[in-house]
Amino acid sequence: MGSAALRIIVVLVFVFLLAPLCAVVLASFSTGAPLAFPPPGLTVAWYGAIAPDMASALWTSLMVGAGATLLSTVMGTLAALALQRGRLPGRRVLAALCLSPLMVPTLVIGVAGFQFALLLWDMFGITLADTKLGIILGHAAFGIPFVIRSATAAQAEYDMSLEEAARNLGASPVQTFLRVTLPMLAPGIAAGAIFAFLASFDDVPVALFMGGADTVTLPVRIFTSIEFSFDASVMAVSALVILGSMILMLVVDRLVGLDRVLGPGRA
Amino acid sequence: MSSEPLPLARGWGWFALPAFAVLAAVFFIPVGYLASFSLRPRTGPGMVGDGFTAANYVRFLSDPFYLGVLFDTVMIGAAVVGICLLLAYPTAYVLARMRGPGRGFLIFLVLSPLFITTVVRNLGWFPILGDSGLVNWLLMSTGLTGAPVKLTNNTAGIIIAMVHTFLPFMILALVTVIQKIGVDLEEASQNLGASPWTTFLRVTLPLSRPGLLAGYLVVFTSVISAFTTPAMMGGKRVLVMSTFVEQQIRSVLNYPFGATAAVILMLAGFLLTAASLRQAELR
Repeated sequence: MGSAALRIIVVLVFVFLLAPLCAVVLASFSTGAPLAFPPPGLTVAWYGAIAPDMASALWTSLMVGAGATLLSTVMGTLAALALQRGRLPGRRVLAALCLSPLMVPTLVIGVAGFQFALLLWDMFGITLADTKLGIILGHAAFGIPFVIRSATAAQAEYDMSLEEAARNLGASPVQTFLRVTLPMLAPGIAAGAIFAFLASFDDVPVALFMGGADTVTLPVRIFTSIEFSFDASVMAVSALVILGSMILMLVVDRLVGLDRVLGPGRA
Repeated sequence: MSSEPLPLARGWGWFALPAFAVLAAVFFIPVGYLASFSLRPRTGPGMVGDGFTAANYVRFLSDPFYLGVLFDTVMIGAAVVGICLLLAYPTAYVLARMRGPGRGFLIFLVLSPLFITTVVRNLGWFPILGDSGLVNWLLMSTGLTGAPVKLTNNTAGIIIAMVHTFLPFMILALVTVIQKIGVDLEEASQNLGASPWTTFLRVTLPLSRPGLLAGYLVVFTSVISAFTTPAMMGGKRVLVMSTFVEQQIRSVLNYPFGATAAVILMLAGFLLTAASLRQAELR
């Protein structure tokens, strides 16, 4: 069998997958133009030249990510429990509706949120455009469905008899929920929360439309730098993002297992 | 779904209310509000008039330029899906059949790009594909080309970066399915005299259908709705549906027409998903 050819293809696929990540790291140390190859020399100077607005964009992204994750995790977990245990009319339709935002382009969510924010401003004087809260709410539109999906999948492999045992042994409903139900669902909920955070940190369109001059996330800052003001410190920030993401990935792999987070893919 | 259905209780249902309320406020009402713009006339820059009209849809669907944007979007989606399938299948096959400690590490490597925000991954393509990047340096220093080959700010750049973005999803979808295909089936086929190629075409590939379909659906719908990568890698020179919507809303300030394109983009995604799922059921 052409196993040598197979091996070569697989090696090339791995080179392809890792090439842009290596390119960012290499370019961040280059003494020459950041987009030129080969680098004429190596320096760490760009890491010292990171603009203050980059640091504040990173801070904005982390705050937005934390807010969106918290909101999505609490609401999504409650909704997943309700959809599976509650006697709701049209449960299947409601569950499908709750996941439907994942089928809509995030750009449309961003544009719709932006237009709706204008309406709220006109009618009630509520300011959501160019605020962290506005971006957090926009990110909850896909964060909540992500958590609902993971928490629902976790319940599918759930053993109800453990809850009954807890009740029979004298635990109150609240105790049963906190000591039995939640711990058993925790890995699924954690996987959904991590996915919600990654999606928030990945997003450009919603943050582009809901953000503004005062509220710029890091992805939006890097995105616009390609058009307007590109300098090598953007590469340095990006290399740090890669480092941070790799550390997060190792932690997640240890705590939850990567396949649980990324298993079924999107949509 | 669990084998034993959970006992249903009335009380639990109330816990869904906060999520329903938030999803209504941040998704259903805003998207419905935006969609309503597509049926209204434009009365000026950033203005939406009263009354209803189908003129925006007529304009989009009767103009070859706008239809061309839709066509290009679908073609980029098809190209990305095709390349992803070709690259992902051999990789997924090797990973699925692999044993030993190296496997976990390789799966980790496949997944690692998924943890890194898309803009950073796209950025990494510029030192490789740019005019003075790695590929053109190789091509020109070996004398294969005299002038740099354009690989950024065009469709080629978009396709390369999108393949990179979605390849891990395709590999994952396929590894899961190929793992479940017993090696004994392949061995049986070969013992009965089939060549490795025949075994692949008649046994392994047909049994991989669920993974191929799952990967195709995820990648195709994600590619046609993606905004970040076409905008970054196309450098404003390539219009796909999402960058067209952004342009209409932010630059042209034609809200009704931007909303029309947004609705058409959403519908294209729904129809594609529905058609694929239907075909999967028919076979």
